[in-house]
Amino acid sequence: MGSLNSYLPIFLLAVLAVAFAALSLVASKLLAPKRPTVAKEEPYECGIVPTYEPPRRFPVRFYLVAMIFVIFDVEVIFLFPFAVIYNQLGRFGLVEIIVFALAVFFSFIYLIANGALDWGPVKATKPNIGDGAMRTTRGTVRRYGSKDNKAA
Amino acid sequence: MPVLATADLGDPLFSHGFGLAVFVIILVKVLVAFGALLVSVMLMIWFERKVISDMQNRIGPNRAGPFGLLQTLADGTKLFFKEDLLPNRADKFVFRLAPLLSLVPAFLMFAIVPVGGVVDIANHVVELQVADPPIGILFMLLVSSIGVYGVMLAGWASGSKYPLLGSIRASAQMISYEAAMGLSVVIVILESHALSTRAIVASQAQHFWQWNVLRLGIVPFVIFFIASTAELNRPPFDLAEGESELGGGFHTEYSSIRFALFFLAEFMNTITMSAIVVTLFFGGPDGPGFHVLPWLWPILWFLGKTTVFCYIQVWIRASLPRMRYDQLMNLGWKQLIPLSLVWLLIVAAMMYSVAWGFAVAVGSIVAFLLITRAGRVSAYRRKEAEKSLPVGRAVSLQGPTGLVTGESVAPYEETKG
Repeated sequence: MGSLNSYLPIFLLAVLAVAFAALSLVASKLLAPKRPTVAKEEPYECGIVPTYEPPRRFPVRFYLVAMIFVIFDVEVIFLFPFAVIYNQLGRFGLVEIIVFALAVFFSFIYLIANGALDWGPVKATKPNIGDGAMRTTRGTVRRYGSKDNKAA
Repeated sequence: MPVLATADLGDPLFSHGFGLAVFVIILVKVLVAFGALLVSVMLMIWFERKVISDMQNRIGPNRAGPFGLLQTLADGTKLFFKEDLLPNRADKFVFRLAPLLSLVPAFLMFAIVPVGGVVDIANHVVELQVADPPIGILFMLLVSSIGVYGVMLAGWASGSKYPLLGSIRASAQMISYEAAMGLSVVIVILESHALSTRAIVASQAQHFWQWNVLRLGIVPFVIFFIASTAELNRPPFDLAEGESELGGGFHTEYSSIRFALFFLAEFMNTITMSAIVVTLFFGGPDGPGFHVLPWLWPILWFLGKTTVFCYIQVWIRASLPRMRYDQLMNLGWKQLIPLSLVWLLIVAAMMYSVAWGFAVAVGSIVAFLLITRAGRVSAYRRKEAEKSLPVGRAVSLQGPTGLVTGESVAPYEETKG
């Protein structure tokens, strides 16, 4: 019974990969300069001061996709053992899997009909904020190192 | 015809117990695979740049080494000497961990790919692949799921908006296509009756019409290929790094060698996925052999087929424009997943009897009509909801239960400095 033995090469390869990455990081630490400035350490925005904080919340749609994914992934997991011994199951296996697939399929239909898998806004109406004329490059963009910029 | 596999399951290397010789063989295999992967990544990056330049009427890299072959090495060396920035809003530990989570799975995924046939070394039967665990192809799915963490955590830990958006997109995309990918792998397992990649390859041996791409109908191959391209975040599915809207995507804040590790992982995954497509659908190392050096021909066949798929990936990248996010999700959820599920049932029924096969095929047509109908219902509900909207309100979809009107969103909120 040497089934665990066959994972030994994978383990060794993982050790090698980690060692490779670690060596690269150490080499980079030794060779690379370290001259951080305020502007370099700010979040990337092409050098201007960010006007948004990085969002801590994101659309609920992504959570929904994750939840629906779990249904399908569980289905796939059940299908693997079925596929391996399908030859020995015969008609019983076939009917069982059709019933199983139908159960998932009907919930899938329900999800589509309710728009759970639709993306994007319903209507891309832009709110009329009325200050379009006042927004110029000079008026709204503040750059690092410019005079009127207190953040940088 | 060279011997591709031994009859019994499991790695025959361990059939006589575990000793020093076995350990040395394993060590050599791992070291060779490690070196070969790094060199092939180097060549793959050069190959991609060169082929794309040819397709765009440019010359491409041609200075470092013959034909610019050493360009990748030069670029990598340069990155060692670049400043490694750590953004001040980053989660420091996770930021450092993420490249590792991307790189290590990329190395591991290649372990299960059968590169050649079986050879005898010092009275040991050695399969030319790094490892042959009984779970075989499941290991590929497992490792590619871990790769999602690398992308997701890299974006989250950067503390910056573009990486965060890129990584959320990428993780939703990768898990969406993972389902379709898993289903198309199940179709392959139906024919091979085993999860081990060696057994999958052996079940396709002897004749090219027994390759899964023909035997299962072309559909599972197409699904797997599209899903693997999406899983790799390669064009036309590279929304995670759509530079026109997200800067560099999830690795915007990464510089120096940490960026190089992501880059390495990405190209390593491209090669490995091509190799896995070959393994699952094109017979792996299967092909006509000759009596001179019988162990060499399967390796050459494997390398040749893998190179073809690497070329196709580059070709796709040079030809196709990036998809829109809703198109991407629609393709994954509403087309690939139902199609792979239905094809799985048809193949299973056909294997039982032709009559059942046709019955299930008719059933699947009904199923697709139902899906179309469901899509129409959803579009109708959307339209009804739009009618009731006040002018100038932006609305987001909130859940399966219906539409919720959101707050009007001012596009530019000035933060007071």
